[in-house]
Amino acid sequence: MTSESKQKRSTVTGVTDPHSRPRYYEVFARKDSSDALTHVGSVEAPNDDLAEIRAWYVYDQHRWREMCVVPTDAVVTVRPRAGDVIRIKPV
Amino acid sequence: MTDVNDDLLCVADTKLVLGNWFAECVMNGRSLPDFAAMLGMCTASYGQARAIYQHLAPGQEAYAELERGRGPAEIRSMQLLDVPPQNWEDLVMAAYLAEQSSWALMSSLLATDDRAVAAIARKIGEEAYFHLKYATGWFKVIASDVEGAERLQDSLARRIVLARDWFGADDPGGGVMPREGAMGGRALADGFIRNVERDLAPLGFQVPSEPAGGHAIAGSWDQTRRRRDDLPAGLFEVIRFKNPEYAH
Repeated sequence: MTSESKQKRSTVTGVTDPHSRPRYYEVFARKDSSDALTHVGSVEAPNDDLAEIRAWYVYDQHRWREMCVVPTDAVVTVRPRAGDVIRIKPV
Repeated sequence: MTDVNDDLLCVADTKLVLGNWFAECVMNGRSLPDFAAMLGMCTASYGQARAIYQHLAPGQEAYAELERGRGPAEIRSMQLLDVPPQNWEDLVMAAYLAEQSSWALMSSLLATDDRAVAAIARKIGEEAYFHLKYATGWFKVIASDVEGAERLQDSLARRIVLARDWFGADDPGGGVMPREGAMGGRALADGFIRNVERDLAPLGFQVPSEPAGGHAIAGSWDQTRRRRDDLPAGLFEVIRFKNPEYAH
């Protein structure tokens, strides 16, 4: 990514502080204890605190009993999306 | 009105003004999710103000008078919020100090025998968690920027004087009437300062210590309103209930 496009992306995501590094977080929630924790969306935020708050206010369509955010880069891919079926290097 | 209800009205009016701050400043949010967060805090603040108004004035007419019928001399919001935010850092700091100090007072009512008041305090506590976390999240971002950190420190130095003042003093000469069994103004102020230091000191911000004898603030202290002056006319114009004929 060129520095120009980085600058443009930064503007689009609204992170104006040049020292902050935006991270992406996946948001999971459940309405009651019998529900599974379900992926409801994602947010971008410069740190965990703001991710928590942004998720809470953006995904406020229900009175969630539980909500969690997970940094997207902490997700370990088990099975990738279509196109990379064989992950092991051929001999 | 009892002194507990006086305090509740002070908190409600502070939330009314704080809600208007968020409504006015929402377009200064740093991203789309920030707009959502500020609008969420705006409506939560209005909701807290109205819950307390309803508790204090359950009748329709009394409620209408409390919400829409009072002039600038009767509004009891924190003086900390009288001066509009000067920049983004000042907005975050002022909102944080208003939330932190009003929560210090409301948390002293969590164990009160009045279950309705205790329930309001619990609800405000649930929401204050998010509002304070929003501010501390931004403090971490701002702390990494030299100029932003300077503006935040400057805002803290200016506004914490008024935040401290809001708690009044314990000495009888100060005109304070602590409730029986409740924490006095000094104990609440000390707890408030401990919380502010806990959030800001690890990031390198210094909470100014109070000079002996306190800060000199213009105007005589009115414990009932927890203010020294009337609400500024310009701010009243922003927060006053417009078009009451549309209310129902």
